[in-house]
Order: sequence, then structure tokens, then C-alpha cells
Amino acid sequence: MVMLCSISLMAQDNNLVVIGNQSGTPADIKMNELKAVFRGERQRWGDGTKVVIAMIKTTTPLGNEISEKIYSMNGDGVRGFWAGISFAGKFDPPNVFNTESEVETFVSQNPGAIAILDRTTTTPDVKTILVSGKKTF
Amino acid sequence: MDEFIFLFSFKKLYLVELLILINSPVVRRQKAWISFILPVLIVLGTGGASIGQNSILQNTHIRGFIEVDASYQDKKVSFGFGEQDLFITSQLTDRFSFLGEAVFKYDSTSATEFGVSIERAIVKYNYYGNNNLLLGKQHTPINFWNDTYHHGRVFYPTIERPLLFPADFIPLHTTGIAAEGHDLGNLRFGYNLLIGNGLGSSDIANNDERVSVTAAVHIKPVENLKLGVSYYNDAISPGADVYDKIIPVKVHQQLFTGSISYFGRKFELLTEGTLALDKTDSTGTQHNWASYLYAGYRVTDKFVPYFRIDNLQYGSGEVYYTKNNTQSIILGMRYYVDPLLVLKLEYQHLNTDFQGKTYAVTFQVALGF
Repeated sequence: MVMLCSISLMAQDNNLVVIGNQSGTPADIKMNELKAVFRGERQRWGDGTKVVIAMIKTTTPLGNEISEKIYSMNGDGVRGFWAGISFAGKFDPPNVFNTESEVETFVSQNPGAIAILDRTTTTPDVKTILVSGKKTF
Repeated sequence: MDEFIFLFSFKKLYLVELLILINSPVVRRQKAWISFILPVLIVLGTGGASIGQNSILQNTHIRGFIEVDASYQDKKVSFGFGEQDLFITSQLTDRFSFLGEAVFKYDSTSATEFGVSIERAIVKYNYYGNNNLLLGKQHTPINFWNDTYHHGRVFYPTIERPLLFPADFIPLHTTGIAAEGHDLGNLRFGYNLLIGNGLGSSDIANNDERVSVTAAVHIKPVENLKLGVSYYNDAISPGADVYDKIIPVKVHQQLFTGSISYFGRKFELLTEGTLALDKTDSTGTQHNWASYLYAGYRVTDKFVPYFRIDNLQYGSGEVYYTKNNTQSIILGMRYYVDPLLVLKLEYQHLNTDFQGKTYAVTFQVALGF
């Protein structure tokens, strides 16, 4: 029973998938680079394509999980974080959506777009980006 | 699609027309309410426009701030509101963007008792990676507070800016050309180099042959920690009008600033100090010092008690600054109803050369919209 619970928790800890538009985004990214991208610390990808961040609302369970794993904050904290950056004129805030399918559609239509989901994608023009060589983190 | 804070996508010309109207002499001569109604009209009027990424023109975002205060000082209760700030960004092309910031605020010298000022108007060109060129009126990147919070009191950790700001100790804005970079390399190095009109200049022209130079660097060696230093150099001409004060003699000013900021999940620390060396032919070099220390502890996600200590010390022969040696202690608490709706309550004990010891209790509701 304890083992089953542990396995379940481990699976939950590594259930996030990074997706990106086929154009601009890398095939593999390190965890610290991923955090830097989602914190607005990187304006362009290696080929010069502008970084475009897409996120699911932080009020959703998935949004809250992303907030904790990427920003080490709760959802409100992430909103405050982006409000500060955006109001200072440092970086455009993420594009935020209600559903994962909306996130996928946006990523498929915007070169340089990157997002985090809790499932793999089959949407055309969207690829899975490995995080330090792994499909999930 | 929802925008993270909010986003109204609309036709650029509509915005330009309204901004021209707001700043026109006709409107400025009219009643104060016009200055407030127009921004509201902009927001409401554009609210009905299409929302999203697919504008036929640029994506333009309008955001804003305002705060409302209540205070008790000198046995008197007062109510008031501060600046209404409209903040506009627009992505012009893949590399060019625009940032504009206009403030509407009380001005006792205005016929309408309200004034409009352009706080920032910047065209930015992203030439490589995290490196940009900026042209226009910008906040002088001289310290963390001025470069980070600007006019957004909802983001201020305290109700008002540190006392070195109202004392005009540092130049808040510079109109000029700048190069900047951020988050470069493992130390997440950043830099700013700004050359612009010097102190005493207007927004449209330099007042003398000298330009001001601001150079700043910072690193972020660990998460949430930022260390920075900056240098500012300017020569102020005799007769120059700087912050409504006529400077009688030529002053060569150098500012050396250091900053440490740490905003973690629980603990917050921000301390900055500026050494101002003002040199004149008659008084030699005067040493002036301004500093503050802020610290807060996030008891819960929404509640942060804090304190701030300020200190202003002027040289005995100082002629550029108004010599008003000042010490202040603030004890306060901050409550987040929402990241963009913050309540603050403060007690401030102030000791100045001019007014002696005074105290005040202030409550503020600050919001971003």
C-alpha cells in the first residue's frame, strides 16, 4: 500500500510536459533554462526567434502545479511576479488560457511559443521539448 | 483567450488620437474631471474592441495604477488620492517596441489643480538576445527602486518611496539613448549605459553642452538576490532650474550607488545607498549620503509586516541639494487582497532639520488595473 502511494506520488511529481512550436524552440532544455524562460529572463531563442510564453490559468490545478515547480510560488504569487515585470516594461506577460487545448492551439500558431502541459501533444506544428533529456519533469 | 493581467487590443490610431487630446492645451485648461474621464474612456472604449493576438495592427496593452490614502498627522485626518498612471506598451515589429507612461496627478500650480506628465516614452530595439537599445525618456537606471517600481505603488513594499526620492537626491528620469542587457551568463549579469540630457534640461532639449552619463551593472548570483552598483556623472549649469530650484553656480555631480535586494518566499530585504559628490569652484567637493533599509517577513502569502529606515545627510557647504538632514523609521504591514490590490498601514516617525520630530499614521489602498 505504502509502495503504491509512493509510486503514485512519484508519478504526480513528474507529470509535466514542455511543448513548443516547431519553429524557434529547442529540442532539449535544462531545468534552470526552462525556469529562466518562464521567468522572462530570456527574450530570444538561439536562432533569434522571440520567446512567447503560453500558460494555463494559475487558478487551475495544473496552473498551480506549474507555479510551484517553475516559480516556487502559488498562483497569486505568479500573477504578482508577472505584474511587476510587465508594469516595469521588462517583458510581456504570458498569454494565459482556460484549457490545455487552447494552449496547444496557441503554441501551434506562434513561432517561438512554449508552454507546459500535463500530457503529451499530438497537435500538428507542436513538439515535445525534452527537459534535461526527459519527456516529463 | 485571456491576458495575464488584462489586454485590450485595438487600433493604434484611436489611442494616439486620445492621447493627443489628453495632452492638448485645450483639455489641460478644462476642468480636472476631463483628465480623469478620458483615460477611463480609453479603457472602456477599447474594452469593446477585439481581445487577442490577431489584431490587424500592433498588439497594444494599456495598464494603470492608482492609490487612495487616508492619514493622521498634526492632529488632523486627511483623505486623498495619488497619481493615476496609464502605462502603455506596444509591439511595433518583431524587434521594435514602444513603452509610454502618462501620469495624471494633483498640481496646485495648475488652473485645473491637475497636471499631466509624460513619465516615460521609449522606443526599444532588441538587437540581440537580451540586449536592447532604448531611445526616449526613461527612468534613470540608478538604483533598484527607480528601475523596478516606477510609479506602481501597488508594487512598492512601503506606502511611499524612500526619502531620497522626494528629496530629489537622484535624477528620476533621463531623456536620451541607452543600451541595456539582462540575465547574461551564469551570474545573470545585467548592464545599463545611458547618455542623455543633464539635470536642468527639459524633455525636449538639453540645457547646455554637457550630457549626463549613467552606467550601471548588476548580477543575480542566486534566486531572488540582486546586487547592483551604478555611477552617474553630470555638470549642472549656473542658473539651471532643477526640480523648481535655481542652481546658482556650476555643479559637477557624481553619484555612486550600491543596491542589495532579496525578495524570497518569506524574507524580503532591500537596501540602497547613494554617495553624492557635488563639486563647485567656491565650496569644493561636498559629500552627501542618502540610504534606506527595508525588511519584511511574509507571515502568510497575503500578510507582510515590515519596517524601513531612511537617512539623508548633507555636506555643510552643499549648494545643490536642500540641506535638510533627515532620519525616518517606518513600521508597517501590507495585505494582499489580490496581487494587484494591496492594503498598507504605516506608522512613520520622522526627524528633520526643518520640522524637527513628527509622526504620521497612513493607510493606503493601491491597485493596478
